[in-house]
Amino acid sequence: MSIPSSNHAYSPSMIEVFGMAIDSLRSNRLRTGLTMLGMIIGIGAVITVTSVGRGAQKSVEQQIESLGSNVLTVMAGASSRGGISQGTGSASTLTWEDAKVVAEQVTMADAVSAYLQKVNTQVVYDSKNTTTTIIGTDLNYSKVKNIYPQQGQFFTQDELDAALSVAVLGSKVRDQLFSQENAIGLDIRIQGKRYRVVGVMESKGAGGIQDQDDSVYIPLSTMSAELVGNNALSGIAITGFVLSTQATDQLDAAQFQVSNLLRLRHDIYPPQADDFNIINQVNLISTLGTIISLFTVMVTAIAGISLVVGGIGIANIMLVSVVERTREIGIRKALGATRSAILSQFLVEAVVVSAIGGGIGVVFGIGVSVGASLALSIPLVISADSIVAGLALSVGIGVLAGVIPAQSAAKLDPIVALRSE
Amino acid sequence: MIQMQRITKNYRLGELDVPVLKGIDLSIAPGEYVAIMGMSGSGKSTLMNIIGCLDRATSGNYTLNGVDLTTLDDDQLAYIRNQQIGFVFQQFNLLTRSTALENVMLPMVYGGLPLAQRRDRATEVLFKVGLGDRLLNRPSQLSGGQQQRVAIARALVNDPALILADEPTGALDQKTSQEVMGLLAELSQQGITIAIVTHEPDIAHQAQRIIYVQDGLVLNRSHNLVS
Ligand SMILES: Nc1ncnc2c1ncn2[C@@H]1O[C@H](COP(=O)(O)OP(=O)(O)O)[C@@H](O)[C@H]1O
Ligand SMILES: [Mg+2]
Repeated sequence: MSIPSSNHAYSPSMIEVFGMAIDSLRSNRLRTGLTMLGMIIGIGAVITVTSVGRGAQKSVEQQIESLGSNVLTVMAGASSRGGISQGTGSASTLTWEDAKVVAEQVTMADAVSAYLQKVNTQVVYDSKNTTTTIIGTDLNYSKVKNIYPQQGQFFTQDELDAALSVAVLGSKVRDQLFSQENAIGLDIRIQGKRYRVVGVMESKGAGGIQDQDDSVYIPLSTMSAELVGNNALSGIAITGFVLSTQATDQLDAAQFQVSNLLRLRHDIYPPQADDFNIINQVNLISTLGTIISLFTVMVTAIAGISLVVGGIGIANIMLVSVVERTREIGIRKALGATRSAILSQFLVEAVVVSAIGGGIGVVFGIGVSVGASLALSIPLVISADSIVAGLALSVGIGVLAGVIPAQSAAKLDPIVALRSE
Repeated sequence: MIQMQRITKNYRLGELDVPVLKGIDLSIAPGEYVAIMGMSGSGKSTLMNIIGCLDRATSGNYTLNGVDLTTLDDDQLAYIRNQQIGFVFQQFNLLTRSTALENVMLPMVYGGLPLAQRRDRATEVLFKVGLGDRLLNRPSQLSGGQQQRVAIARALVNDPALILADEPTGALDQKTSQEVMGLLAELSQQGITIAIVTHEPDIAHQAQRIIYVQDGLVLNRSHNLVS
């Protein structure tokens, strides 16, 4: 009789072991299902959380992007001329000339648009009314804010020069005042005064400093005439101005130039406080983005913990199943199974369970993500990396969780295993 | 076929070394059919397990088919169990969740036969033990006698030189015991070496020789039943 040297003893092929693992998993569905459940929930949670987190991040980015990531908003601040603070609103610290000079001298500025703003103002059409923000501005506003009419048009230079009573409605205002009818050409009333609707703006969604959809735009001259009885622009106080640059990375330079120019014009020297505030959209985006990604990391970590718990659950069930299957292991060994054959059988079982569980978890996670993106109306962001990571993680956990039980199964003495009951 | 000299086996029970086999001398010729008898606890199962390479002797020499087993490692013993030995246990020891066919195919899985060959061979052997119509039944769907016949088919399937049966009829009634013994007799006629442990004299008398084990030793009054 010829005996092979030990390293030539026959061990079933991987395909063989795989088949055995599948048979064994199929023959104990409850155990298999319970083992998979931890994986399904763990991986599903990781995918859902990362996808919702990224979707929220993207949604914020898109909204702020749509407001213009190359826009500075300069607003009049507290006047402290002569050391006496006059407070905002009472006397604005910014004038139309400030905006004009900024437009002329700030080289980084692509377009500048001055505006006057009045919040909480009632606008009426027929029997309907709404309270909104009135923005008096010039023709550059559209360009700077990258917001264009979807119906009709923005008011014209002639209308601005003549201080005509024309209005362009934000989409939300339009929806509130008009149901089906075309608003263009109809008259609305703002504080009792008639304005003809010449345009309706496209919707940009809420975000940034103010809801652009919940605004009514009228010529700066018209608004100035209403407020101060003077329709000539020169010399009037403004709420502020907006400024756009060609590119996002020019924004900081533009902010620097605007600050210096305004300080110079307003005779402000450090350590005196500025009498204006500059709001930088890029800073807003990155602050918000940081908060959201922090949040995402945190929730992903929690989901990761649930994955570890799932892994421990698998290890636990595998370990119990080794005890429960001691007799089976004894039988297999009596029939000629080598230590490595038993080891690979148990290991492959663990990997197959967790890989299938992980796969179902991925599908489950994608399903929940789709649902969440619909429910929260955020973009659906399912990246390949989270799927690959999810699957790799589940297989990895399967190996880790399977190794110890598999080793203790393989080590069992055949005779001890056979005697167990 | 089997040569044993001064085989001893001690079990450790805590601090104590309990001797179970105390120097067994035994030889079984190729093709021989022997029955091993003795009181409960005398060491018959321990001896069978050592013969079947499921367990190792504490000391002594054991040669199976000319191979000295004392020097082999675990994987080599696994190979011998797979290729040379077929086991039949009192408690059948079938995989309860697998079908008769799958159970009989199992030794060939560890013997490295391709699937198609395994299925053909297992089917053939199950037909041979009279279970051709029960291939897909699980053990729970078979009677005790049928389960033991599946176990015999499994023991046979790799064409072993030696079949070891530890009280194979212990869990069976009179009639099914006789069916199982009939199968073993057939195998013996085909030249397979058989060792069977039993308590029942009329079972033992179907073998060619009876070996008596008492208190860890083989008695000299071995009983030759063939004239
Ligand atoms: N794993 C073990 N550990 C300790 N003692 C054992 C073990 N296996 C068997 N024994 C003891 O060895 C003796 C012989 O057992 P066994 O060979 O099963 O006897 P038999 O099969 O003849 O009834 C008994 O006293 C039994 O208690
Ligand atoms: Mg016994």
